[in-house]
Amino acid sequence: MDVQFTVSEFLASCNQTLEYALGHVTVEGEVASFKINQGRWVFFDLKDEESSVNCFLPLFQLRAPLEDGMKVRVHAVPKVTKWGKFSLTVQQIMPVGEGSIKKSFELLKAKLEKEGLFDPATKRPLPEQPVNIGVISSTQAAGYADFIKIINERWGGLHIKVAHTGVQGLAAADQIIRAMRYFNERAEVQVIAIMRGGGSADDLAVFNDEALVRAIAASKIPVITGIGHEIDQSLADLAADFAASTPSNVAQILTHDRQAEITQIKQLLLSTKKYITERIKFVADQNHQAISDIKYQINQRLQKQQLDLEQTMQLLESFNPDQVLARGYAILTGQVKLGEIVKITTLNQTIQAEVKDVQKR
Amino acid sequence: MSKNAKPNINQKIADLKDSMQWFYGDEFSLDQAADQYKKALGLAEEIQQDLTALKNQIDVIDKDFTKE
Repeated sequence: MDVQFTVSEFLASCNQTLEYALGHVTVEGEVASFKINQGRWVFFDLKDEESSVNCFLPLFQLRAPLEDGMKVRVHAVPKVTKWGKFSLTVQQIMPVGEGSIKKSFELLKAKLEKEGLFDPATKRPLPEQPVNIGVISSTQAAGYADFIKIINERWGGLHIKVAHTGVQGLAAADQIIRAMRYFNERAEVQVIAIMRGGGSADDLAVFNDEALVRAIAASKIPVITGIGHEIDQSLADLAADFAASTPSNVAQILTHDRQAEITQIKQLLLSTKKYITERIKFVADQNHQAISDIKYQINQRLQKQQLDLEQTMQLLESFNPDQVLARGYAILTGQVKLGEIVKITTLNQTIQAEVKDVQKR
Repeated sequence: MSKNAKPNINQKIADLKDSMQWFYGDEFSLDQAADQYKKALGLAEEIQQDLTALKNQIDVIDKDFTKE
């Protein structure tokens, strides 16, 4: 038996059937006839070689710039409008394929750059040796495992809080934004590290999501990213305070290496020991020099006194009467008067003599 | 941090570097050098032990970020 509907009932029934049969759908296709109405609503057709479907979403849900010809993946609810027109109400959309991702990347980059989101002057220095670290990543990801391995090897005593989120796909951006909000509301960590390992351009496209990029730029807590491989650059990297090349590199940037620290401490002790030894040697050398100076002074004084003594002795010797007698002179003692007996002393003899004559010279 | 709180590894390393500076400063005296060096050596050994033994505490937050 035919069921009879009003038009409204019929469309409601269609929508109920669609919801029951399909629920949410993910569809990939090329954008055509893209337009924004009244600055609030986005309309476009999603098409492939043979078919086309109308798509609709509020402008605020558009997380990446779109242009005709771009390939996108939409997460949407199929609906029949009250005018009987079938369309997809898009909830999430992201470019797919290298060309579209690159195009979207360039458009959004230019827009956000103009707003100053990537201005190097706004970058904050990362805390030196942070103890409390917030990590946003998938705990199942290889990049996360690399990070944990390297950070455990390099340093200890850290408190690492991990927000497990998706790191690819349409839903990941919102999860990462919620994790950013979680850390910022609690202010328990000194730095937030957003990480995922390498992947295709599609895999990494979530890190070019406009809302996520804005959340990173607005974070009160400094943000470091380690997304993909060294050659990959996302808008999240540009908005972060520091963009490490890989998750392992994040661990290297945030921590010192304990082995290098131990070596440095050993070298410091060794050089200080050497310095102390040099200081001791310097003082010892100074003492030796002082002792040597004192010895020299004493010797100088002794030599001078020796010289003085010798000169005095020479002078004294010159006063010795024997010196005169040795030269043939004699000493006469007694009264030099006629008939008196005088004593004559020569070097070797003592003579008694009578004065026979006295004349003036 | 209160004065009674146990210094963490970074503070110990900073303390060690400060105490090393004493040897190169104006306050250096040979009389105190041996004691100062022994103290620094003790701290350095403590740091080395800490560095070798310290583990990281990793907590995965118990919250489902797929939901608002």
